[in-house]
Amino acid sequence: MNFKGTLPTLILEALLHEPNHGYRIAQQIKERSRGVLDFKEGTLYPALHKLENEGLVESYEGIEKGRPRRYYRITKNGRRTLSKDRAEWRELSRAVTIILGEG
Amino acid sequence: MTGLEIWLKQATRHLSRDSAAQVRTEIQEHYESAREDAISRGANVDDAERFAVAALGNAKAANCQYRSVLLTSAEARMLRDAKWEARAVCSRPWLKWLLLGMPLATLFAATSFFLASAIAVARVLLVGGIGMGVWLVVPFLPVYTPVRGRVFRFVKWVALIGMLGLAFGPLALHWSWLVLSCLWSLFWIEWTRVSIRRKLPVAEWPKALYL
Repeated sequence: MNFKGTLPTLILEALLHEPNHGYRIAQQIKERSRGVLDFKEGTLYPALHKLENEGLVESYEGIEKGRPRRYYRITKNGRRTLSKDRAEWRELSRAVTIILGEG
Repeated sequence: MTGLEIWLKQATRHLSRDSAAQVRTEIQEHYESAREDAISRGANVDDAERFAVAALGNAKAANCQYRSVLLTSAEARMLRDAKWEARAVCSRPWLKWLLLGMPLATLFAATSFFLASAIAVARVLLVGGIGMGVWLVVPFLPVYTPVRGRVFRFVKWVALIGMLGLAFGPLALHWSWLVLSCLWSLFWIEWTRVSIRRKLPVAEWPKALYL
């Protein structure tokens, strides 16, 4: 399913409870959407860099299974942006549901 | 060349050396995790590698997105040149004084010609003096915060438009095509700086990015 434009919000949501590395973030989004949101994983990192440039996430070096990994965690600004995005999404989703006659 | 190497080669096209190294590291980490996951689910090594590369998607699309968030080779070159220029000026005091003195001397000459009623010559010198002032003196001004940078850039563009107005007079609009084609390199530099400002955190901006 095409979910262009919502990837940054989904990444912030995936990082809300704990820091994670790129691969786990991608798996988490796929699993939580029960496979509906299947995106190309090569586009995840540019989105992460963009969020980092905007100060919404920050990265640090971590170790997993003895291998160095780059972990990302959400910042205070990121949390604020996520709650704003969530509210906007609820409003949009409610409006579209009403228009499609499924409310 | 493996599937991953081909993917990485396309995805890192036109990126700076540091950006390309960063992309290689993160994609290789991702690929290893995807490959190990596929093997743990029962796939053989070849299938696991194929699956891991396929999950990355289109390398050209990824390259396009990487170029919008990481420094390209042209942008990295511009940053290097800006740092080299700053070092060159700082390490040669005579050059600093020459750069400061040239616009002042030109503006002084323009005033002298204006007072001597040689208006056409005074106008040319004034245009040259403003131009030199904007491009040669500003590196010595205390423009090192984003707000001051924005103010300076506004003043710079107003000065540039003023210069063109002075140089071409009422014909400025008529000759705008010529002006635009002559100044394309300036616009390209400005556009590249805008792009770099979006990609680098303010703490890492060199002086040239504020200007």
